[in-house]
Amino acid sequence: MNVLIIDPDDARAALVAEGLRLDDSLHGATLHIWPRFELARLSEINPDMVIIACESPDRDTLDALQIAHEHAPRPVAMFVDRSDANTTAQALEAGVAAYVVDGYAPNRVASILSVAAHRFNLMQTLRHDLSKARADLAARKTIDRAKGVLMTSRGIGEEEAYRLMRKHAMDSGRPIAAIAEDILAISDLLKKRDDGC
Amino acid sequence: MLSVRIGFSPLNDAALVVLAEALGFYSAEGLDVSLSREANWSNIRDKLSYGLLDGAHVLATLPLARGLGLGPAIGHIIAPMALGANGNSVVISSKLKEVFEGLGASTLLESARALRLVIQHRRAVSEGKVTLAIPFNYSPHHFVLRHWLAAGGIDPDRQVQWVVLPPSRMADHLRDGVIDGFCSGSPWPQMAELNGDGVVLFSDPAFWTLKPEKVLALRGVWAEEHPEAAVALTRALLRAGQWAIDPAHADELALILSREAYVRAPLEAIQAALAPGGAGLILDPQTATFPWISHAKWFIGQFVRWGLTEGSHDFDAIARRVYRPDLWRQAAAPLGLSLPVEDEKDEGGADAPWMLPAAPDPVLMPPNTLFDGGVFRVRRP
Repeated sequence: MNVLIIDPDDARAALVAEGLRLDDSLHGATLHIWPRFELARLSEINPDMVIIACESPDRDTLDALQIAHEHAPRPVAMFVDRSDANTTAQALEAGVAAYVVDGYAPNRVASILSVAAHRFNLMQTLRHDLSKARADLAARKTIDRAKGVLMTSRGIGEEEAYRLMRKHAMDSGRPIAAIAEDILAISDLLKKRDDGC
Repeated sequence: MLSVRIGFSPLNDAALVVLAEALGFYSAEGLDVSLSREANWSNIRDKLSYGLLDGAHVLATLPLARGLGLGPAIGHIIAPMALGANGNSVVISSKLKEVFEGLGASTLLESARALRLVIQHRRAVSEGKVTLAIPFNYSPHHFVLRHWLAAGGIDPDRQVQWVVLPPSRMADHLRDGVIDGFCSGSPWPQMAELNGDGVVLFSDPAFWTLKPEKVLALRGVWAEEHPEAAVALTRALLRAGQWAIDPAHADELALILSREAYVRAPLEAIQAALAPGGAGLILDPQTATFPWISHAKWFIGQFVRWGLTEGSHDFDAIARRVYRPDLWRQAAAPLGLSLPVEDEKDEGGADAPWMLPAAPDPVLMPPNTLFDGGVFRVRRP
């Protein structure tokens, strides 16, 4: 069985491929990954099934192959799970659709699509977690720098500086990182005046 | 406020849909609309089918294809209004343009005949078929190109290779010689021309002065559950049209379209398409947004003509199940627009401005002609 994965997002495509390799029912399937759909190269792979990211602009090219084409003599049709409309709907919501060539093995197609949808959701969760972790790290750095500014300008210790910021944050009902940003901005302003322009 | 999810494709003819958000017409009609910029038509079709969108800016042919039972989608889709008229252009390679000029072809009929000579020549010297790109199989673009080719004596099925491409990739393929021409909504053709990738051969108005193109599509189930919202949504878009036809708003219209969240294309290309002599997009709510049953029937006729569906359909029943002039009238009446008396009109054959019977006042309509002089007549009892 030949499965072609089309996704402009390399990392996500790799995650989908990994998910499919781990699936026992798919033992022996050959996976191919393309960042974009190239009709002229379709016969090189001759896939039985194509998984495509909905955000790929090439989806309409693939979708059009339900009408016979020189490069795709076998009709390609979007896979819609008639017995379980949820599979298709959940996949679309996750941002992925499946196409089958010549009505290939429907029972396996549904499970492949489910795995792909699961991996698309996983990727989104990973990306979300990563961006949150990055934001947390940036906030911590800002707080540390602001603490340094307070320690120098007021001649206080680290703990006292942090306590001051936290109190201000609580009094003003704003996150401590925002208070730290204010301190840094104002200290920059003061520094520039010191430069004597 | 009712939450409504509306999809659109990044094209100039999504103008009414994006203007209504940018200018607050949705909220003025009591709707909390969130727009979703979609990368392809298949996505919009499927999201409408599975309830991930309530409505969308779509090719007029998309809900009709559904009405004809074509494609994978489930569920009924209705069209309470057109989102304007025209807006597409046909772009060809500069090489082909030179050949056309050498043959003295200046009208559409002449250029189609010139292309026939090119096709014959290529076959004689065993070169590849002339290849043309369209954005979607079931599209007005496809029908316009086929009608134009057939007028020049070309068999669009056997003598031309068709390929479906996203408009964003068409210019690259043209420059690289993979295709000989394409038809796309603006501003892509104008961008291709500005970048020197090809030349605009003709735009919609040269083919048909008032060509139907995009409609507002609503998920049938949603519209049944929210009949008032369906009318309010239509009204918000008609109000956007009333704003858009004021010449004083031309610059702002182009600026809004060019935004990152909307068309996300260079302002220069968007303006070139909107300018006189450009893609001919008409946003006038009075003359270019009524969902004419005769438009729907013309399109269904094209599906049949090109063998995309069997001919045994009840044209009238399908057209009226999908196109909903009754909803347009409900939406338009409080805005001071005149309501057409009939749901159908002759398409083509009006070379000069003409009066459309409407209430309270008749409407002065722009010319309605096709380049080949063809007329699609309403059958009157």
